[in-house]
Amino acid sequence: MKKILVVDDEESIRFLYKEELEDEGFVVEIAKDGEEALAQLPLFKPDLITLDIKMPGMDGIEALKQIRGIERQVPIVMCSAYGEYKQDLTTWASDAYVVKCADLTELKNTIRRLLGLL
Amino acid sequence: MSTLPETSDLLKSVTRLFVSSLPLGEKLGGIIESISKSLGSDQCLLLTPEEIVPHGFLNRVAQGKKPLWANETSGRERGEVLPEERGLLQESFGLIPLWDEATFRGILHIGFSRNHPFSPQEIDLLLLVARVLQTLLGNEQIRREEEKAREELQGLQEIGKAITSTLKLEDLFETILTTGLKIFRARGGVVRIEDKKKGELKTQYSIGDYHQAPLDRRIAKRVFFTKTPLSLNRSGEGNSFLSILCAPFLLKGRSFGTLTFYDKETHPSRFDERDLHLLLMVSHQLSYAVENAMAQYEISTLAREQEKRVKQLSTLWELNKALLTTVHLERILQMTLTAITIGDGLGFNRAMLFLVNEKTRRLEGATAVGPNSAEEAGRIWSALSQRKGNPSELITQLQPPLDKDSVLNSLVKGIGIPLEQEQCLLSRTVLEGRPFNVRVPQAEEGWLQARCERGCHLGSEVGCYVSEHLSRDPRVYSFASVPLWGKGKVIGVILVDNLYNQNPITDEDIHYLAMFCNQAGLAIENAMLYRNLEEVHQKLKETQTFLLHQEKMAALGELSTSVAHEIRNPLVSIGGFARRLDRITSPEAAEKRYTQTIMKEVRRLEKILEHILTYTHEESVALKELDLRGILEESLSMASEGWANGGLRLVKEFSEKLPMVRGNHDQLKQAFFNLIHNACESMNGKGSLSVRIHPVSKNGSSFVRVEVEDTGAGIDPENLHNIFNPFYSTKENRLGLGLPIIHKIVTSHQGQIEVDNQPGRGATFIITLPAQEEKGNEKDFGGR
Repeated sequence: MKKILVVDDEESIRFLYKEELEDEGFVVEIAKDGEEALAQLPLFKPDLITLDIKMPGMDGIEALKQIRGIERQVPIVMCSAYGEYKQDLTTWASDAYVVKCADLTELKNTIRRLLGLL
Repeated sequence: MSTLPETSDLLKSVTRLFVSSLPLGEKLGGIIESISKSLGSDQCLLLTPEEIVPHGFLNRVAQGKKPLWANETSGRERGEVLPEERGLLQESFGLIPLWDEATFRGILHIGFSRNHPFSPQEIDLLLLVARVLQTLLGNEQIRREEEKAREELQGLQEIGKAITSTLKLEDLFETILTTGLKIFRARGGVVRIEDKKKGELKTQYSIGDYHQAPLDRRIAKRVFFTKTPLSLNRSGEGNSFLSILCAPFLLKGRSFGTLTFYDKETHPSRFDERDLHLLLMVSHQLSYAVENAMAQYEISTLAREQEKRVKQLSTLWELNKALLTTVHLERILQMTLTAITIGDGLGFNRAMLFLVNEKTRRLEGATAVGPNSAEEAGRIWSALSQRKGNPSELITQLQPPLDKDSVLNSLVKGIGIPLEQEQCLLSRTVLEGRPFNVRVPQAEEGWLQARCERGCHLGSEVGCYVSEHLSRDPRVYSFASVPLWGKGKVIGVILVDNLYNQNPITDEDIHYLAMFCNQAGLAIENAMLYRNLEEVHQKLKETQTFLLHQEKMAALGELSTSVAHEIRNPLVSIGGFARRLDRITSPEAAEKRYTQTIMKEVRRLEKILEHILTYTHEESVALKELDLRGILEESLSMASEGWANGGLRLVKEFSEKLPMVRGNHDQLKQAFFNLIHNACESMNGKGSLSVRIHPVSKNGSSFVRVEVEDTGAGIDPENLHNIFNPFYSTKENRLGLGLPIIHKIVTSHQGQIEVDNQPGRGATFIITLPAQEEKGNEKDFGGR
């Protein structure tokens, strides 16, 4: 059972991702911002992290840097409401970039690809 | 011996003849005859002073003032006798010198071939008759002198009448000379007046074959400078003049001319003291009249000059007024040349205008006005002469099409002369900033040669053109060039000629033209400045519009980004949970429709958000060399998913050879997709869609042109100016970002988008993108 940490400031999104990804057979833990995510990291030891970019407090970009400082190997998928961060060089440190969409097919496919499940 | 009755007969007949009214000759003849008859002499003569040869015997008798009676016994000492006198010295003769006080009137001669001693009665009688003859001759002399005096008086009177009758200089001179000829019985006369500017005498009028010899002029000059009259009589040799009479015109002690008469009609030709005095009197009397007439003449000449100047100035004013009616450059050039060529203006046959191009340092032909042939010239001139009005009105009325088909105009427009070509007249006009007036003489072969060496354009183009049209007996060809002055520099050249009427071009014409050109130059410069100003203004306006647009976009971008972010997250949740519900809802359940509807609407909202973000977010995109045909194919296949079943017909027209375009693949795909998508929507599933792609060339650069044509309803003309405005849509349920996005993409690729709109029949959108000029710009389809 692969473990996924979903980081997003929107409660509905966290709820949706958790439900959907659990349906796909993953173990899902959630965090509401960068700090929470970093706190969860040593306890939960996720196999993959989805990271929202725009969050109050520590945002996704900052969180990405810090996580990479601790965990070099865990795949990270950046999720954002719009594509502007695609150009931000720091997001290149992530493994994938997915624009948020009600249809989660793209996200799920990306996760499976990164976890070598395809 | 004579008898008394004979004596009384003689006295009777002499008395009768003396008191008769017969002419002098008949009286004298009658008396001589009576003497001869009465004395029975063989010869009786009256010798005039002219018939008496100097140094001869008769002359000695005349000088002795005493009668001589010669016969066998007395009066034989005679001294030298000239051969022509011998016939008079007969056997017996009497010689009575006729003296009237100091005047010698002749000798009465009575000759007998036999010895005839004169009796005292006979001598008394003859002396008495001699006194009668003497008186007759004296009377005649007095009568002649009286007559002459009367004639002179009459002549003077005539001159007096003449000089008061006219103020016209020429008429006055003519009257003076004709009257003078009568008074002096001269064969010719000359009036000379001082030319104050040149300080020399100038012949004003002459009658008869007056002497062209330098001597004649020298005499006049001498009289003029010494202010002294001169009479010169010289015995003629060959045809040279015989006598001359010359007096100065004097006024207030200054001489201003001479009056000369020459060659008296009498033989020998001889002017005497009396003539000289008379001439002096006449010239004195005339001086005032001539001076007056001269002054009058000068005043009227000045007045005419003034009138001409005023007319020129008023014409200039009119022409300038016309030039002020517009700031449109083409129109001003046209009007300038029209003013130069119309008769009420400066009246040249043809005019050509060249402007200096400062960047290229070349003189470029701008426009020209002039008929193509002499026939056409005649037609135009006669038509123009029938038009009424001031030049300013005429010129502004004349419309440019006058020379639309003019050979000259198109010829001049093609002329470009480097200013460095210093031997060319036009270049020199610019470089030296002064007019040139050139008269080209007729060449030997009868053709005019107006070309200069080294292939000057004027020579090879205008000149040749001129030659062609002057094949009909050209005498000369005159043309002139005048610089057009702007503010402190020469901005162009005007070239004029009188090809058709071959009027000479005077310096005054050039002066007048230069005056006009100064005004025209300023007007032209102003128009050019105005045109530049307008261009700059237009650019500024465009830039301003662009900046406003950019600003609007930036604000919109900021706004929409935050809106998008705020909306997208809830949408993801709504949509996501709707999908979850949908998955667990049985297809038969009524709820299935609800979940489907939520999903559909969320998808639509997401799409709108995508549009907004694409439009507002400047993506610094990687540019690549692209083949638009491939991209167009992709867009077509994307768009066609929606209308696979419909009655839409697709017509593709792709050029086989097409240059590459530098750009962003995804953006261009998006743009084409939007365009095709819009076209399909406007046709409502029925119609024909044409997609064309061609290479084009514009202003020396190459472009790729993409056309998307539909047979839909077209665009309502009312909305046409708004179609590229973001958030403007006529489709109620659409946000209208399709065209603005296309516009943004195309302009960011330095391209252009245009629309050919035919309401009710369809619209064609045309996108032009600059092509890559470098290698591999022509690739076959599919080679990307």
